[in-house]
Amino acid sequence: MIEIQGLSKQFQLTKQQRRELSTEEKQTTVVDDVSFVCQPGRIFSLLGANGAGKTTILRMIASIYKPTGGSIKVNGIDVIQSPQKARKIMGFLTGSTGMYARLTVNELVKYFADLYGMDKDTFEERKKYLFDLFDIHEFANKRIGKLSTGMKQRVSICRTMIHNPDVVIFDEPTNGLDVISADSIIQLIRDCKAQGKTVIFSSHIMSEVELLCDDLAILNKGKLIFNDTFENFKAQMTKPNITEEFIAQVQNANL
Amino acid sequence: MIFTIFKKELKETLRDRKTIMSMIVIPMLLFPIIFSVMFKIQHTIEDSLNKKVMHIGVIGGHEIEPYLLRLENLPKEFGKLKVIRFTDSSQLKRQIEADSIQFGMLFPADFTASEQAMKTLTIPIYYKMSEIGVSDKAKMINDAIFKMAQAERFQKAKIDEQALTPYIYDYVNIASDQETMGNLVGGFLPYIFIVFGFIGCMYPCIDLFTGEKERGTFETLLTTPVTRWQILLGKMGVVVLSGFMAACFTLFGIFLSLKVFNIVEDPHIIDAIYGMFTPQSIILLLFLLFPLVVLFAGVMIPISINAKSFKEAQSIITPLNIVFIMIAVIGMIPGISLNLMTASIPVVNVVLGMKAILAGNIDWILLIISFFIMILLAGVSVAISYRKFDDERNILN
Repeated sequence: MIEIQGLSKQFQLTKQQRRELSTEEKQTTVVDDVSFVCQPGRIFSLLGANGAGKTTILRMIASIYKPTGGSIKVNGIDVIQSPQKARKIMGFLTGSTGMYARLTVNELVKYFADLYGMDKDTFEERKKYLFDLFDIHEFANKRIGKLSTGMKQRVSICRTMIHNPDVVIFDEPTNGLDVISADSIIQLIRDCKAQGKTVIFSSHIMSEVELLCDDLAILNKGKLIFNDTFENFKAQMTKPNITEEFIAQVQNANL
Repeated sequence: MIFTIFKKELKETLRDRKTIMSMIVIPMLLFPIIFSVMFKIQHTIEDSLNKKVMHIGVIGGHEIEPYLLRLENLPKEFGKLKVIRFTDSSQLKRQIEADSIQFGMLFPADFTASEQAMKTLTIPIYYKMSEIGVSDKAKMINDAIFKMAQAERFQKAKIDEQALTPYIYDYVNIASDQETMGNLVGGFLPYIFIVFGFIGCMYPCIDLFTGEKERGTFETLLTTPVTRWQILLGKMGVVVLSGFMAACFTLFGIFLSLKVFNIVEDPHIIDAIYGMFTPQSIILLLFLLFPLVVLFAGVMIPISINAKSFKEAQSIITPLNIVFIMIAVIGMIPGISLNLMTASIPVVNVVLGMKAILAGNIDWILLIISFFIMILLAGVSVAISYRKFDDERNILN
């Protein structure tokens, strides 16, 4: 479970950034007093336009960024107080994730297993399961730089799931992927839900949201403008489809 | 965890051709190439001068015959000589310019009168400066002839040569070959260490920090249960090791030149080099090198973290090498040696310390001061690196 309470994040602006943004402000608020809960066995979707603050929230949950205010708990672990402990039970996957091109698939997966402190037997068992599932065996000894995009995506999923995390964070996971690769991610998200994991994913692709989402939060300029179940979102819709409804909600919030 | 990161980064680094070139291949082959080119050029010049018939152009009347006779009767070690007479100095100069004549001499019209009056004669010698070795050879030949003419005059005047030569200063070098070579090699080896230590650090550093940022692999690394300190130290370990190894491979290159390729033939030079590079001196050199390389890494890492692209990082870091060399040049100024003041100037102390180690003039207290000053500075650079690495604005593009 992910519990977020009054979360906010401000970034200090460098002189160059102030010049680029034509502002005198020394800091900018990216996330402003956001609260929500992601339940295990459900898929929580974070929706918002580019720059709404989705990635910043997910990075704060993953403890890459330190929040300016508020609290984050993952399965009861305070992420701000015990980031290492919290990271052990989380998996993080983004559509733009790069991988170490000069390592082989086996070396990469082993490296991450070592970083997560997995013991040899658990690692071997888990690796076999994932390699079977994603059909990785045949290119397990190839260098990642030599793999196709689809193969890389499968390896990336394998790397994220190697330590069998209870909580999985997907940041625009299908961004830039072809239909087949995107489908494997959607399948993974469904599997995670079926296994009772807590899943949070950000997207701006409405068809994906419709396919997967149980709970939904809409972000606009760092603020939460909707937070409820997807069923309730659909029930409250005043527009004919969710894309138009999303646009209308964002426009209303900007008025 | 630090070792896990170190191991992985090292594996990746060793699979990068650019790093292999800058860390192993170029440093290792530097000295064999320098030595072989140096000795090859030297041998080629000597051989060509010895084999070549030296054409000497002369202008003068029949009175210079005795001189020409002396010239023709010079021993074999002076090489083959051929004297060609000219009547016109401009023609002689043209022939020298065309390389048909190596050097030419113009005997003055009052040659006989001056000889008889035992006066000093000035004989202009024309040559081309661009012809390497010709002026030395001309000087050698003319010195020999002059000695003969001088001896003849002393005999004629019935003067004992020793009466006019009250003293002969014989400068005897009491420095050992090691000391002499140590000062010579010690003068440039630290620069080689600085250049290759720096380049050895540079590529892995940019690749492991800016490159990881560019490739988008940092984000996933930061979501693993590893602290930033551990990530930094794991990566820094590889950067330091790369710089250190690059410098070590230059040393290894010296031994390759002597042992494997047998490029150096002069036994004095070989003995002196072996005298300089004893196990003790090598260990001391590496001790001084270590904090220097850590300092390099500590300077490069914040820049690499800050840079948005490989190109940007490279364009800032590359000129820094020159800055370090400029500082090190202070150690090359004649008369400057390791003392309390120079021992407290970073980088200069390493250069002077290495010079002293190679020459065998080790002052332990000054060496220890130099080492600790460098360790202190390296520590500060590591702390600055951590500060930059911990700043979340710098980590992700």
